[in-house]
Amino acid sequence: MTDNDHIIHTEGLTKLYGKQRGILDIDLDIERGEVFGYLGPNGAGKTTTIRTLLHFLFPTRGRASIFGLDIRQRSLETRRRIGYLPGELEVYDNLTGAELLEFLSHLRGGVDWQYVKELAARLDYDLSQRIKTLSHGNRQKVGLIQAFMNKPELLILDEPTIGLDPLMQQEFYRLIGEVKAEGRTVFLSSHIMPEVERVCDRVAIIREGRLIAVEDIDVLKARAIRRLEIHFATPVSPEQFSNIAGVRDVQVHDDVLTCTVAGELDSLVKAAAQYQVVNVISHEPSMEEIFLAYYNQEGDGAA
Amino acid sequence: MLRNIVLKTLRDRRRSLLLWGLGLVALAAMMIAFYPVIREATFISEYLESFPEEFMALFAGEITDYASPEGYLNGELFFLMYPLLMMVFAIGFGSGAIAGEEESRTLDLLLSNPLNRWRLVLEKFTAMIVCTLMLTIVFWATLAIGGAIIDMGLNLLRLAAVCFSGFLLAIAYGSVALAVGCARGKRGVSIGVAGALGVYGYMLNALAPLIDWLEPFQVASPFYYYIDANPLSKGLDPVHTAVLIGISVVFLGIAIVTFERRDLAV
Repeated sequence: MTDNDHIIHTEGLTKLYGKQRGILDIDLDIERGEVFGYLGPNGAGKTTTIRTLLHFLFPTRGRASIFGLDIRQRSLETRRRIGYLPGELEVYDNLTGAELLEFLSHLRGGVDWQYVKELAARLDYDLSQRIKTLSHGNRQKVGLIQAFMNKPELLILDEPTIGLDPLMQQEFYRLIGEVKAEGRTVFLSSHIMPEVERVCDRVAIIREGRLIAVEDIDVLKARAIRRLEIHFATPVSPEQFSNIAGVRDVQVHDDVLTCTVAGELDSLVKAAAQYQVVNVISHEPSMEEIFLAYYNQEGDGAA
Repeated sequence: MLRNIVLKTLRDRRRSLLLWGLGLVALAAMMIAFYPVIREATFISEYLESFPEEFMALFAGEITDYASPEGYLNGELFFLMYPLLMMVFAIGFGSGAIAGEEESRTLDLLLSNPLNRWRLVLEKFTAMIVCTLMLTIVFWATLAIGGAIIDMGLNLLRLAAVCFSGFLLAIAYGSVALAVGCARGKRGVSIGVAGALGVYGYMLNALAPLIDWLEPFQVASPFYYYIDANPLSKGLDPVHTAVLIGISVVFLGIAIVTFERRDLAV
């Protein structure tokens, strides 16, 4: 098996629904020990890809393997070694968190309960609460705990931080860091660029069911477009900024400069430093802006 | 109670089971309590037997000797009420088993565990059998105790035979509901299909003896195999019992095969 080195390997993986768009010809290779981000807007096919890998959906064409095991023939063996967090998680809400985790642990042949308690403490989750009474964020926590609790070789997490408050997101990022340090692998989907930047080594971008790019996170960051707003103490003129490499759409209204920057900010910041800067506001790029960055650059390359 | 899916399903159903059990106890106790009146006042049974045959056949089957314990129980409980209630319970259970989890979107998390789909269906089926059997035993015990109190002289083994036959009928329809739920993933569709088949089955069995052209089709009704051999008086008929079990096995097979082969809804 040539795909043995890859934790996840897909080849032309395609899932078509009747009229809805599914995923088309997805080729992915995810290496052991990496944190791999699967980035795309809602409805792009992230969940479809994940649910196909877990054997909930059967591919229309193409093939895929996890740990070198074919997902259709040997799904059970793969699922034994995967921790999964469903997107838009629903759980048995008549149970308490402890009861749910106990049930799941029996299905998996046992779990280190000490570790469950540790996870619950770190995520500030009360195991004794009936899940019905929990907020969305707390439900997400019990979903994360069950995904992590067996210390699986591979974590597949569908939009893991949705509903988590910022403090818990930080804790989640730390958990991901520990998993990575132990040489385990993470495949996580997200529609938020900064999150992916924060934790992932590599990123695949999916849009309308197709892979647009698979990049190292550093490359992606370099290409990313940011919208900047710089407030000066005195009015400035646009000419001094419009010639800087990577800077576009320069507009000046009195003492406020707005522009978009692709890649490094260094030259712009140095140019701005000649004046007295009052405030700098950076807007994280939307998914659309990231796509545009890709399409533009591909266009540039062809020209 | 969370060691496996069978036990967890029982746990989830405990409130429903309790209510159903109480209802069946009340029904059985009431019917038994009323029997001494029938036994003494023979005019009531004569009155009932004077109804048009067609009318009675629809609700109480072919009544012979309404004043005897067996005739009374067959007419009042075992022809319509008992099988209908058990069927409703089993259909509700069977339709919810897979389609219920799918509609409440808990199926993804469940099947992300190392658990084969056929295994899940089998565990749910087992849970349905256990729950329905518990109700059957409660119903039987109530009749047995009540019958002893008013000195009905019932043969408890034969009583068990008819109760068990009704249990098998319920499981047959429950399996249909399970299969439709597995194939389509929609609880409402499953209840609708299995419920409609149940009503057709009942009507066919009740009316066929009265309508010449319908009579040959009576053997197509599961209700025929449940009650026609009169298990309360004669014990279980091996062939009829086998047919009821066969229906369950076939639909359990359909449930597994269809569920193994389809995409799961989000």
